[in-house]
Amino acid sequence: MKIFLFTIFLFILFAVSANAQDKKDNLISGSFENLSLVEFFQKLESQTTFFFYYNEAHLDSTRVNITAQNEPLQTVLEKVFRNTNLLFSIDSENKVYITKGLKVVTTLPAGFFQPAGDIKPAYSVKDSIIDYGLESRKKGVVTSESKLYEIGTKTNTLKGNAIITGTIRNATTGEPLINTSVFINNNYSTITNAYGNYSLTVPAGKHTLNILGIGMKDTKLQLAVYSDGKLDIDIREQVTTLKEVIVSSRKLININRVQMGIERLSIDNIRRIPSVFGEADVLRVITSLPGVKTVGEASTGFNVRGGSADQNLILFNDATIYNPSHFFGMFSAFNPEVIKDLELYKSSIPARFGGRLASVLDINSREGNKKKITGSAGIGLITSRVHLEGPISKDKTSFIFGGRSTYANWLMGLLPAEYENSKASFQDVNLGISHRIDSTNNLYFSGYFSNDRFALNSDTTYAYSNRNLTIKWTRSFNNRLNAAFIVGFDQYKYKVFRESDKETAFTLRFGITQLHAKMDFVYYLNQKHSLDFGASSIRYKLEPGAYEPLDKNSLITPDIVETEQALESGAYLTHRYSPNNKLSISSGVRFSLFNYLGPQEVNYYAPGLPVTSANVIDTKEYEKGKFIQNYYGPEYRFSIRYAFTTSFSIKTAYNTQRQYIHMLSNTTAIAPTDIWKLSDPNIKPQQGDQLSFGLYKNFKSNTIETSVEVYYKRIKDYLDYKPGAKLLLNHTIETDVINTKGKAYGVELLIKKPGGKVNGWISYTYSRIFLQTNAQDPDIQVNRGEFYPANYDKPHDVTLAGNFRVNHRFSVSLNSTYSTGRPITLPIGRYYYAGSERVLYSDRNAHRIPDYIRTDFSLNIDGNHKVNQKTHNSWTIGVYNMLGRKNPYSVYFTSQNGLVNGYKLSIFGNMLPFVNFNIRF
Amino acid sequence: MNIFIICMVVFTGFACREVYKPTIISSPDSYLVIEGVLNAGTGPTSIRLTRTFKLDDTARLKGELNAQVLVEGKDNTTRQLTMSTDGFYNSPGLNLALNQEYRLRIKTTNGKEYLSDYVAARKTPAIDSLGFRQDDKGVQVYVNTHDDSGNTRYYLWDYDETWEIRTYYYSNYKYVNGQVIPRGPGDDVSTCWKYSSSSNILLGSSASLQSDIIYRAPLTFIGNGSEKVAVRYSILLRQYALDKSGYEFYEMMKKNTESLGTIFDAQPSEIKGNIHCTSDPGELVIGYISAVVVEEKRFFISSGELHRWNFSQDCPKYDIPNNTDSIQAAYSGGLSIFAQFFPPAGAMRYDVAPISCVECTARGGSLLRPAYW
Repeated sequence: MKIFLFTIFLFILFAVSANAQDKKDNLISGSFENLSLVEFFQKLESQTTFFFYYNEAHLDSTRVNITAQNEPLQTVLEKVFRNTNLLFSIDSENKVYITKGLKVVTTLPAGFFQPAGDIKPAYSVKDSIIDYGLESRKKGVVTSESKLYEIGTKTNTLKGNAIITGTIRNATTGEPLINTSVFINNNYSTITNAYGNYSLTVPAGKHTLNILGIGMKDTKLQLAVYSDGKLDIDIREQVTTLKEVIVSSRKLININRVQMGIERLSIDNIRRIPSVFGEADVLRVITSLPGVKTVGEASTGFNVRGGSADQNLILFNDATIYNPSHFFGMFSAFNPEVIKDLELYKSSIPARFGGRLASVLDINSREGNKKKITGSAGIGLITSRVHLEGPISKDKTSFIFGGRSTYANWLMGLLPAEYENSKASFQDVNLGISHRIDSTNNLYFSGYFSNDRFALNSDTTYAYSNRNLTIKWTRSFNNRLNAAFIVGFDQYKYKVFRESDKETAFTLRFGITQLHAKMDFVYYLNQKHSLDFGASSIRYKLEPGAYEPLDKNSLITPDIVETEQALESGAYLTHRYSPNNKLSISSGVRFSLFNYLGPQEVNYYAPGLPVTSANVIDTKEYEKGKFIQNYYGPEYRFSIRYAFTTSFSIKTAYNTQRQYIHMLSNTTAIAPTDIWKLSDPNIKPQQGDQLSFGLYKNFKSNTIETSVEVYYKRIKDYLDYKPGAKLLLNHTIETDVINTKGKAYGVELLIKKPGGKVNGWISYTYSRIFLQTNAQDPDIQVNRGEFYPANYDKPHDVTLAGNFRVNHRFSVSLNSTYSTGRPITLPIGRYYYAGSERVLYSDRNAHRIPDYIRTDFSLNIDGNHKVNQKTHNSWTIGVYNMLGRKNPYSVYFTSQNGLVNGYKLSIFGNMLPFVNFNIRF
Repeated sequence: MNIFIICMVVFTGFACREVYKPTIISSPDSYLVIEGVLNAGTGPTSIRLTRTFKLDDTARLKGELNAQVLVEGKDNTTRQLTMSTDGFYNSPGLNLALNQEYRLRIKTTNGKEYLSDYVAARKTPAIDSLGFRQDDKGVQVYVNTHDDSGNTRYYLWDYDETWEIRTYYYSNYKYVNGQVIPRGPGDDVSTCWKYSSSSNILLGSSASLQSDIIYRAPLTFIGNGSEKVAVRYSILLRQYALDKSGYEFYEMMKKNTESLGTIFDAQPSEIKGNIHCTSDPGELVIGYISAVVVEEKRFFISSGELHRWNFSQDCPKYDIPNNTDSIQAAYSGGLSIFAQFFPPAGAMRYDVAPISCVECTARGGSLLRPAYW
C-alpha cells in the first residue's frame, strides 16, 4: 500500500504538467450538474489555474451536482467529496492531488533534500511496478472495467513493446483460471497456462484488455501500458440470469492454437454426456471424441489413432495412473467432483511429455476454494461420492478432498444363490492442497488413492490399487520466466489371493512403483518468440510377478520373477515462433534416455536366430545399480499453423515418440491381471512417428467450429505375442513376444457447437491400424507375415453428443454412437483330430463382430438458481443404451453335444435406467 | 476368466448371451485333414484322411475316400498305403530306414496333390514305466520315460483304454421272442469290457530340463467313483518322439481347441503343419507328419490296488408276477429279469432290476474278452 501510494507520489512529482494557463480568477462560480468527477475537474481546469492530478480508477461513479458562487476550491471540493473517501491537497503551485484514503502532503519535511544543491532525484523510478491485482484483492475489490490501469513505469515517450504478466483468478474461489483467453483488439492474444498465468507482449500505449473464460464473466480492462509490468486479475463467475442466453463468440482457440489433435474438455462438458450409472465419467467421454476408440463397454482402456491401450500416458495432476478404471472399466477411477478439466493430445504431443506413443491424457483436479468452505455430494444407485473444499488459511492455502465408495453388495443379494458369497467394492480418495507462498510462488500437493477388491463366489480375491503423490512448486522468476518443479511417487499394484484353504493358500502379486522428478520452464522472449524447456526423470521399480504361499503349510511352490529397475530421463526444448498473426511455428526436440539397471540376470540370444530358450548363448548376472542396457534417441515435435483469416487456418504436425514400458496383455481390454514390462536388452523400446494435417474453419461468428484432420502413423517394435504366449510369471518373456510393426492412418471430421442453447458435437472418424510381425522364425509369423488389422481396428465411427438446454433448470442430453465391430478370429470349421472334434480358426482378426450402436439419453434437472441459498440440488435421470440393443462385446464358441455353437456376449443387453442426486453446498 | 462374465452379471444384471451365427462362417471351404504317424518300425501304420466341415453341420465325420497315399523316401523308395475303411490308409509295416528322410504324397480324387516336408525317420525311446497316484479326487495315471542320448526332448502320446465291468446282479434268464428262458454257460452277461481312446492331445517336453527325462507326465485322470477302475483297468500307451516344430503344432492345436473362448482368453491362432497343397499353395492343410518307431506299453490297475474305490450302482430290485403282460411291461420299462423269486405264499415271481444292473452290454460293454486280459 505504501509503495503504491509512494509510486503515485513519484509519478506526480516527475510528471510533466502543461502548466501554461492564463491568469484567471481562482474562485469558482457556476452550476455543475450531473458531471462525472473527470468532467468536473476538466471544467475547473478550464476555468481556473488549478491543475488536477488524479487516478481515474480511484474516482468512483460519484456525480457532481453543486452550485458555487465565488467560492474557493477548498470549499467546493469539501462539498463534492463529502460522502466519498476521496481526499485532496492543494499545493502552492495550484496543483490539486486527488487521492484515496491517504492525503498527499504537499510540503516536504525540513531537510529532506540534501544541501549543497544536489539535484539528483531522491528515488529511482526504474523498478516501480504497479501491482493492481494484489491491491484489489487485499481490499476485496474486483477489478473494474471502467478504471484505467497503468502498467509499468510512466514515461514521456511510448515506444517499443512491453510484457504484461500476471495471474487470472476466480474472484469467488481464488482458484487460478486456466485456458482463459487474454487478448487485446484481437491482435495480441494468449491463453493462461495451467497455473492461471499469462504473458502478453503488446506495444506501449492504451489498450483494451479482454478476458474470456469458460463460465466466467467477459471482462474488459482499460490499460495504459508504459513498460513491463504485472497485472493480476480476479474475474467473476458468470451468474446467468434466467431467460438470458449468453453466446460466447470469440473463442478462437481451435483456429489460433499451433498444436493440432488436441481435445480439451471441462468438467461441465463431461457432465453433459450421459454415462452408465449417471455419474460423470471422464474416460467414457474421451471415447466419444474423434480418433478415440474403445474395444467395448467393459474396458476403460482406450485406443487413440490406432495406438494400443498401453500407448496412452494417463496423468492425473502429473501422476501416472496405470489402471484408470474401477471394476474392469465400469467406472473410471476419477472422481468427477474434484476434476477441473482434461486435455487429450492425439497428435502434437508437447515435448514436455514423453514415454508413450499414442497420446497423453492430462487430467487436472480443481484447486480448493480459497474463500469459503463448500462441498458437494452425489448419490447414485451403486456409488456415492462426496467432496469438500475450502480455505485452510484464507486467500493463501486451500484444500480439496474427494471420496467415492460403492455399495454394490446389495446388488449381489439380488443375484441367484450361486453368487451369494460374492463381494465387490471400490473406493477412491483425492486430496489436494494448494498454497500461495507469495505472488510469484505457489505450492501444490496432490494425493490420490484408489482401491478395488472383489471376490465372486469363490474364495479367490482380486484386488488392485493406485497410489499417487505429487508435490509441485510453481514460480515466476520474472515477467518472462515461469517454472514448475514436480516430484512424485506413483504406484500400481494388484494382488490375487486365496486364504481359505491352508494347503492352497497363495498370493500372486504384481507391482510397479515409480519415483519421478520434473522441471518445466516457460520463457517468453517477446511476442514472437517463446521457449519451453525442462527435464524429467523417472525411476522404475517393477515387480513382474510373485507367486507365493500364504500359509506356512501351503503346498504352493514360490515362483518369483526377478524385480526390474530402470531409469528413464528426458530433456526437452520447444521454440514457439509467431512472426505475425497468421503464421505460428512450434518446433521441439526431446531427448530421452533409458537405462535398464541391475541387479538382473539377462539371457542373450544368438543373433539372427529365433529368440527361444534353445538359442541362449550367454546368461549374465548384473550387480545392483549396473547399467545393463541403454537406449536413447531424439524425439521431434514440430507443428506449424497458418491462419488465412481469423476463422480459417491450416496446420500440420510431425511427431516422433519412444516408449520404454510395455503392457503385456493378449486380451483386447485392460484386465487387472495385465502386467507391464520394461525394455531390456531383448525388448527394444517402441518407436512411432506421426504426420498429420488439418483444416480448421469456424462459422457463424465462431459459434460453430469445424475441423478435418488426417494422419499417417508408423509404429516400430510394438510387441505382439506368439500364439498361446504365457505372460504371467514368465521368466523369459522375450521368448513369447514377437516384434511387430504397425501402420495407422485416418481422417477425423468434427463439427462442434461449444455453446448456446443447443450445444455438442458430431464427429466422424475413419481410421485403420494394421500390424505385421517380423519374427525370425517363419512358423510363428502371424498370418504368414502379412499385415493384419489390430484388435482395436474399427474403421468407421460416428458419434453425436448433444445437449439441449430447455431452460436454466432443465436440460436434455443425447449421446449416440455407431462404430464398426472390432476384428476377431473366428472359427470357420470343425474337424476331428486326436480323438476329438476341434475347431478351425480363420486368419488372425480376419472377421469382425457385429457393429456397435448405442444411444443414451439423460435429463438434468437443477434446483432453483438463487445465488444465495445454502444448498443447490440437482437430479440426473437417464437411460443408457436406450435402444436396448445387444451390442456384442465378445463372440465365443463352445462345443456342446457334438456341435459347436457360437455365442455373443453383450455387457448391457437392455436399457439401463439410472438416477443420481447431487447436492452442492 | 469366467469371473469377468460373472462380474458383468453382478454389475448389471443385464449381461446376456445370445446365439451367434455369422453368415461368413457357415460356408467355408472344406480342407483336408491328415492325421497319423508313419511308424518307422515294423508295426502297422495308419493314416486317416478326413475333411473339415461346417460349424453348423450335423453330419458325422466323413473320411476322404480313394485317395492315393504314398510314402516317398529321399532314397527314391516309395511305399503305398492302401485304403481300408472310411478314410483310413494302412500299411502293415513300412520298415523305414532310420535317419533316412521321407515324405508323404497324397493325391485326392478331386485332382489335388498334397505333399509333406521331408522328415527323418527316428527312434522313440522306450517307455520306462506307467504308474498311478490316488488322491481324494481320483486316480491320475502317468508315464515315465527318458532318453539317455538327450535327443528326443519332445514326446507325444496316445492311448487305448480297456476296462472290465460287472453287473450288480447275475442274470440267469434272458427274454427272447416273448419268452423267458434260462441262460446257458456261454450266455453270461455279467462281465463285459469297455474300450475308449485318448481324446486329448498328450504332450511332454523335457526341453527346459537338464536331462531328457519325463517324470510322471499325466495321461488321464479317472475321477472318483468311475466304473473304469471298479474291477480292472488297462491302458495301452503309444509313445512318439517329436521334433520341435511337431511339438509346437500339437501344442498350438491343443491350446486352440481344448480351451475354448471366454472374454479374456488369449486369441486363437492358426495351425501350421508340415503338409502343403502343391496344386493350390494357398489352401489350408491340417496335419503334421512325422516318421518314428512307435513304442508302446500296456499297464493294468486292479481295484484291489486302490484305496477304497466308491463305484456305486443304483440297483433297486422289484418282483413281478409271472405273466406275459407283466414281463413285457417290465422289459419295455427298462427292467430285466435276473432270477426267480418265491414268495412265502403264492406263485413264483421274477426278480427284476434296471437292465444296466443285470446285463453289462446295456452299459455299452462288449462281451468279448480281450486277448491281453
